[in-house]
Amino acid sequence: MSEFIYRNKQQLTWALYAVATVLLVLFIGDQLAGKKAARIAQTLISGLLVGGVYGLVALGIVVINKASGVFNFAHGWMMVVGGMIFWSFFTVSEISLAGAGLLSAATMLMIMTTVSYRDLLKQRNLAITAGGALALTALMTVGGIELRWLHALAGTFAGAILTGLAVERFTIRPLIGQPLFTAVLMTLAVAEVLHGVTQIAWGTVELNLPVFVNPQTNSRFKPIRLEAFREALDGIAIIRVELVIAFVLALLAFIGFILFFRYTSVGLAMRATSEDQQLAQSVGLRVRVILAITWAVAAFLASIAGVLQGGAVGLSLNISFVALRVFPAVLLGGLESITGALAGGIIIGIVEQFGTLLNSSEQVGTNLAPYAVLMLVLVIRPDGLFGQKRIERI
Amino acid sequence: MKKHGILLALLLVIGGALPSLAQDMMDYPADMSECEVDLSGETINIFHFGDLSGPYAFITQPIVSALTDAVAYWNGRGGVCGAELAQVYEDTGGSREAAQSAYDRFTSAYGDELDLLLLYSSDDGELLREQLAEDEIVSFISAGSIASLYGEDGQTPGWLFASNPLYINQFGFFCQFVAASPELFPDPVIGFVTWPNAFGRSGTEPAAREYCGGLGVEVLAEPQFFLPTDTDILTQVQNAIDGGANIIYTNSLASGPALIASALVDLGLEEEITLAGVNWVMDTTVGLLGQRVLKSNGLPAVDGMLGSMPFRWWTEQDNPAVQFVTQQFAANNRSLPEQNIAYLLTWGAVDSILEATIRTVNRTGSLEAVTGAEIKSTMQSMDYAVLGGLMQHRYEDGMRDATMNRIAVLKYANTTMTGPATGPDDALLIDDGAGGKLFLPLVVPLSDFMEVPQLRGQ
Repeated sequence: MSEFIYRNKQQLTWALYAVATVLLVLFIGDQLAGKKAARIAQTLISGLLVGGVYGLVALGIVVINKASGVFNFAHGWMMVVGGMIFWSFFTVSEISLAGAGLLSAATMLMIMTTVSYRDLLKQRNLAITAGGALALTALMTVGGIELRWLHALAGTFAGAILTGLAVERFTIRPLIGQPLFTAVLMTLAVAEVLHGVTQIAWGTVELNLPVFVNPQTNSRFKPIRLEAFREALDGIAIIRVELVIAFVLALLAFIGFILFFRYTSVGLAMRATSEDQQLAQSVGLRVRVILAITWAVAAFLASIAGVLQGGAVGLSLNISFVALRVFPAVLLGGLESITGALAGGIIIGIVEQFGTLLNSSEQVGTNLAPYAVLMLVLVIRPDGLFGQKRIERI
Repeated sequence: MKKHGILLALLLVIGGALPSLAQDMMDYPADMSECEVDLSGETINIFHFGDLSGPYAFITQPIVSALTDAVAYWNGRGGVCGAELAQVYEDTGGSREAAQSAYDRFTSAYGDELDLLLLYSSDDGELLREQLAEDEIVSFISAGSIASLYGEDGQTPGWLFASNPLYINQFGFFCQFVAASPELFPDPVIGFVTWPNAFGRSGTEPAAREYCGGLGVEVLAEPQFFLPTDTDILTQVQNAIDGGANIIYTNSLASGPALIASALVDLGLEEEITLAGVNWVMDTTVGLLGQRVLKSNGLPAVDGMLGSMPFRWWTEQDNPAVQFVTQQFAANNRSLPEQNIAYLLTWGAVDSILEATIRTVNRTGSLEAVTGAEIKSTMQSMDYAVLGGLMQHRYEDGMRDATMNRIAVLKYANTTMTGPATGPDDALLIDDGAGGKLFLPLVVPLSDFMEVPQLRGQ
């Protein structure tokens, strides 16, 4: 008997997993059978839309990982910083010219010195820096409050680029060639620094970020009520407009990044850099520039996610914890997969909602179900659903 | 700056403080004990630590603001009995480990000087309960849990003193209110939709369920939990409603109650389901964050939410304590989101700490002779109107939490500032400084102060 088990260990393990999965599906099916169709539909809609936001957050983490191999624990705080910068521009009637000028100048200086500080000695580069700073400042301050969207987008763009480049320049770049684990630990330190900076600059009071409001009523857009399906669903299901906007933005970002990584030289260089930084450098790829672009892009993605999340529930330091909830989505989809980030986000969103539907009192939705699904998937596919399978030659 | 100016203007309108600002600053409203000992040249430190940068940061930051203002107020008037007032504090970020480290640092650095400690959270209270007793340090807290104030058995008073009733008692009090209002709640069933931490779970205990059941108020056995990071809690709210709830009760704050209210509006159930909660749901942040979603009557989603109000509120401008704090708030240019429960209660806590210290110094003869045990003895015999009427502290007969409470409703002011608005047409709307309009939150007490039921240890 023991020999039989030993010989067929793998098959038996798989059989056990299969039985456990079937039992779980039967159990869940039985639980769901008692629910109205409207509840199931609503749970699916909520999960899908919330999952889209998770996917957007996951995308930022994946982009960094894809290009540098670093798992960025500071992503949640980059979301907070981005959201707060947006709030600073969006909710004031008069933007400080000095503040906007300083932010623009700092951003342009960081961009133009990505390769070397000596680049600033060239007159052409100095002119570009000054011109860019002036243009950015103009975008942040031109017109009145009716242009607040423009001010906020320009300010957030500049702030995010500055944050991303500063993080890369002063914390990640010095670690090029060092073990990846050191850089991962560095992101933990960066998270704490951003935490402190946020607290000093914006305080800790929860802020209202009225981005998802109808300008006529100054209140949130009314949700779409699926009245046409009331009879079929035996109840009403609704779709929240702000979550749809977030979902669409997430989808657009995904499409953009898939194309970027597949068809642009920078995207391809990023992928090459993630494989081996030293090798990439030896074949002439400018690793510094590629890493800088990656961090700037990730910071911008984090900012978008911060604005969407802050607009949906209010801006507070708690937003940083969303990134923690997204970690299972990143691992589930595969650490380097853009498609995986979206798929992982949506799966975790749906799993959370169904877990909550079936048992909210024990927090099954947030504390157990996502991790159980993650465990199951990782057992079957250790690199995640869309992760690259690596073969290490010894 | 312009934004701050607008917020300050808002505050002045809300507090009705414009007339009082035009006059001289009012005298300190509390009837504090006379100083019998001159403490000139000495320093009274107010020690406190807690979560200033973690999940609760948005409500705790005003604690530091209020303490800073109170310290400046007293030192600007020659100190307390001649002694300079100072605050010593640390941010623990909501971590138990950090709270323990802070406690260890405070006790080793200040030794005998540390007789009284201000804490923010029930979790820290539970963590430090035994250590405070061992080190003979009295602690003030806004509303501790049963375990922190009375131990696991609910019957052993410790060294922590709370200024609010226990959350479970607040819930029992709410059940009393519901049971006494059959015209409003003919067949009441309460479902919890709440945060999953110790604070959020208060009131979900079987003892509370049994007590409320005895009053004819059914409480669903299964609470629905959500996290402060959740963007959509329709599922939790629908779970409670499917379970039969026609009243949703929450122990959450800031965007928590606003999220539930939004879900009710989205489901078209805002008129059928009543939303209620612990004293923190009446906070200013809730009134401001709850404006993102409007009900079918055009008022913010949290309009009409019920909650505990065991102390005087900012809008009760006939109360000298409220008048005084409002004046100090305006004089220190604090921002509107800071005009919350924490700022108000911290002024009260400072007043209580000073009163307890003065009484103890008068008895012992010097600041050096004051010990934690002496302060505890003072506290246990105290029956004191905090700040001359903000709330009453009475810790006799082994009590460690407040015993009086009332129920209030969150509304929005009307254009004449004479009462709550009935709709957007008669609501007072003020420019928020960014092209939008703000409704002004208003808390209206629905009952007088009455004794809360004692549900601990049952």
